[in-house]
Formats: sequence, structure tokens, C-alpha cells
Amino acid sequence: MTDSVVLQPSHKQPGWKVDRFIVSTALVGFALLGGLIWLEAAPFMVALFVVGTALGMALYHGAFGFTAGWRNLVVKKRGAGMRAQLLLFGVTSLIMVPMLHSGQEGMVGAVAPVGISLAVGSFLFGIGMQLGGGCGSGTLFTVGAGNMRMGVTLVFFIAGAVLGSIHLPWWLDQPGFDPVPLVNTFGVSGAILVQLVALGLIACWVNRIERKAHDSIERDELLWKSQDHGVLRTLLSGHWPFTWAILILAAGNALTLAISGAPWSITFAFSVWGAKALEMAGVQMSQFEFWQWDYPAMALKDSVLTNIPSVMNFGLLLGAMLAAGLASRFNESNRNRPKGRQLLAAVVGGLLLGYGARLGFGCNIGALFSGIASASLHAWVWFASAFVGSWIGIQLRPWFRLPN
Amino acid sequence: MKGSESMEQAYSRTRILVVLGIVLALILVDHLNSPTFAFNSGQGNVETALTQRDETACAPCGAPCPSTRD
Repeated sequence: MTDSVVLQPSHKQPGWKVDRFIVSTALVGFALLGGLIWLEAAPFMVALFVVGTALGMALYHGAFGFTAGWRNLVVKKRGAGMRAQLLLFGVTSLIMVPMLHSGQEGMVGAVAPVGISLAVGSFLFGIGMQLGGGCGSGTLFTVGAGNMRMGVTLVFFIAGAVLGSIHLPWWLDQPGFDPVPLVNTFGVSGAILVQLVALGLIACWVNRIERKAHDSIERDELLWKSQDHGVLRTLLSGHWPFTWAILILAAGNALTLAISGAPWSITFAFSVWGAKALEMAGVQMSQFEFWQWDYPAMALKDSVLTNIPSVMNFGLLLGAMLAAGLASRFNESNRNRPKGRQLLAAVVGGLLLGYGARLGFGCNIGALFSGIASASLHAWVWFASAFVGSWIGIQLRPWFRLPN
Repeated sequence: MKGSESMEQAYSRTRILVVLGIVLALILVDHLNSPTFAFNSGQGNVETALTQRDETACAPCGAPCPSTRD
């Protein structure tokens, strides 16, 4: 989900170095915040905080990148990252679609309207991914791992998300139609089958591109074992095979649904954080329609410790910090500090990410990953539109002095 | 530990602690001014995010809930 901390397979290292300060700080932060959530919110929120932490570790150690995966396909014609994403969507769809339609009360999928707002939002988000250097989860886990450029992206991501929340009602008034759960048309098994066929067709397209360019296909997404170290050391110090990250991310999203009643989502919290900051600065956010709706209004009014996306994001940040400490890579990407146009890319990319995420009803996690896991049509529109935006973002990267 | 020593040059420990301290302070300030804290402190008749969650199921994707918008 990022390109700033893409972990390349390293040479074998003689010893395992742990950054004790970072690991200790992350664990103390985890204990403090976890205790606070336990005391002041609810036990299930602590469980979600733990799930968020595990997801943060998986994202960092698995270097599971939507942004880099899409760019690798476009630029290098390599499809392992893209196929890993498709595999993740397929596995999660198999688990979560039946869960959502098991008849259990209080569960709701990531379904959203299909229209101009969604198409424009996801398109802008796609551009932002390539300029900002990551998507929703990628921005968070790289910030947790100490990446300062991504910190700039996050600040403007939040700013864009608030602006998007203010404009969203206008965008929703543009042409569009109500959410389309595929289950309503095809039934549970049919919806899963339709999605698996669609994912398979995309995988064939990806394979064709790779084979045409290289005469062969790298099957990195199917690796089960680390090529460098044993299982335990790899689990703790990183360079996870794609399959490990896929399993943890799929299980994490399913657990989030089981515990909270809704799939994993990230960027709504950014809107809340930004709106709270503006309220502290004296802006009356309730004058805007979005912040009068029941759910956003209460999220704005109440503690972030009771807001599920916020709590999971805190866990994700600390999980990535812990993982970076265990890998002794915290802050590593700051050795070459970005400046000039690269910083401008972080600003522009962050704004596009935030604004796009609000208009598109989430990021690659809330709209794409959780949307497909909920068998919602909007996720597929988001996918196509964001991929086109991402292609344009890739073409713009050289001007911002960002390597492709 | 050699790894820790080499990493010390890459970041300032003080800066990290200060940033995390500020974030924790902001979370605390936000919480102390929240309906949930008021509810936990014994004030009744306070609607919180957790009680709202029990009443309505709404995905946190930012899309309007079915009941929210005509």
C-alpha cells in the first residue's frame, strides 16, 4: 500500500538486530492505550485495537503494497503484487460474504451508492496513491514505521478528508443510484462465484501482460516460506511471504466484522480527526450536512476511543512501529530526506487521497477490500476508476522527481 | 546492542517520545470532554457512540446510512 517502505528481499544477515528503544516504546504505548480503551470504552474495542495492531504488523512485515503492486504492473510489467491482492479479495470474499448473510443481527457490509461521487472520488484517490506514496493503510503503517514524508502525506490526507466530508452532500446530489449488493441479484453463492470469476479474469489479464513482457510469470504471491530465515525469525523480523500477509489480512478483516459488526475501514477516522482539530480551532462543524448525519455527528462529538476506525488505526500505527523496531528499520526511509517537488507530491497526493476517499466512500481498504468482501458493486467501480487514476499518477511521478 | 546504536543516528529518541506524548495528550483531552467520559463518570441520559451503535447498524465507510438522507 506504499512505495516508500517497500521491503526488498535482503541478503542473509549473520545476526538479528532489534531496535530495543522502538520495540519498548511501541509496547508501552500499546499497554497505555489498550488500558485506557479497556477502562473507558469497552472490552470489544480492546479486541479491535489488538486486531489493528496485528494488521499493522502484517502490512509492514508483508510489505503488502497496493500502490507499488499497481505500479509494478504498469511500469515493470510484473504482476505478483497485483495477483496477491486478487487472491486476498477472493479469500476474504469466501469468508465474509456468507458471514454477512448468515442472518446474524447487527452486521452490516461495506456497501455504498454508485454514481459520480464514487467514480470521481476513487479516480482522484488513484492519482493520490501514486503521488502521496501510499494509500490509506500504506500511509498509516509507514508513518508508524517512522517515515516522515508519509507523515506529511497523512496530515494532508486528513485535511483532504475533512474537505471531502464538507463537499460530499453536493457530490451525492449528482447522478447516481443506491447501493447494489450483488447478493440481492445472484444470491450468496452466486455473488461469490461472480466475484471469483471477475477476479480470475483480472488475474488472466495481469498474467498476459507479464508473460508478454518477460516470457514468464513470477509466482511470488504463492510463496509460503521465507527464502532468508526460519519461520519464527521471519514472523518477528519481517520479509514475510505474500501468503502470510494475505492470511492475516483476510482473518483480520473477518475478525473486525465479527467483533464490530462492520468490515475494516480506515479513512473515516481521518475525517473525524480533522473535524475535531477544526472544532478545536473554533470551526462549528455541525453547520455542514455531513456532520449532521447520525453516525458522523456522534463520532465527532464522542471520544476517539469509542470510534472503531480510530481505535484500529491507533493499533495499526503501533503495530507497524513494533514491526519496524523488530526489523531494526524504524525511520530507515528518512536517510534520504525528500525535498522540493517530492514534498509537494506528498502534499498534493495527501489532499487527493483524503478528498477522494471521502467521495469514494473509503480507501483501498474500506471501499475496495471490504467492499468486495461485502459483494458490493461499488467496490468494483472503485477498483476500475482508481486504477485509471493510478495510471495517470504514475505518469505524473517523474515531474515530481519520484522514481517509477 | 549494535543495531540500536546504528539506529540512534537515524532518529531522535526525544523527538519520538515528545510526538507520542502529544498524541496521547490529545487523545486524553478529547476523551475527557466526551459524552462517554461523562457517562462513565455517572451522568445519566447521555447518548454515546457505543449506545448509538447498539441502536443502529451503520458501516463506517462514510456513506450516508439509509435512514440519514432522503
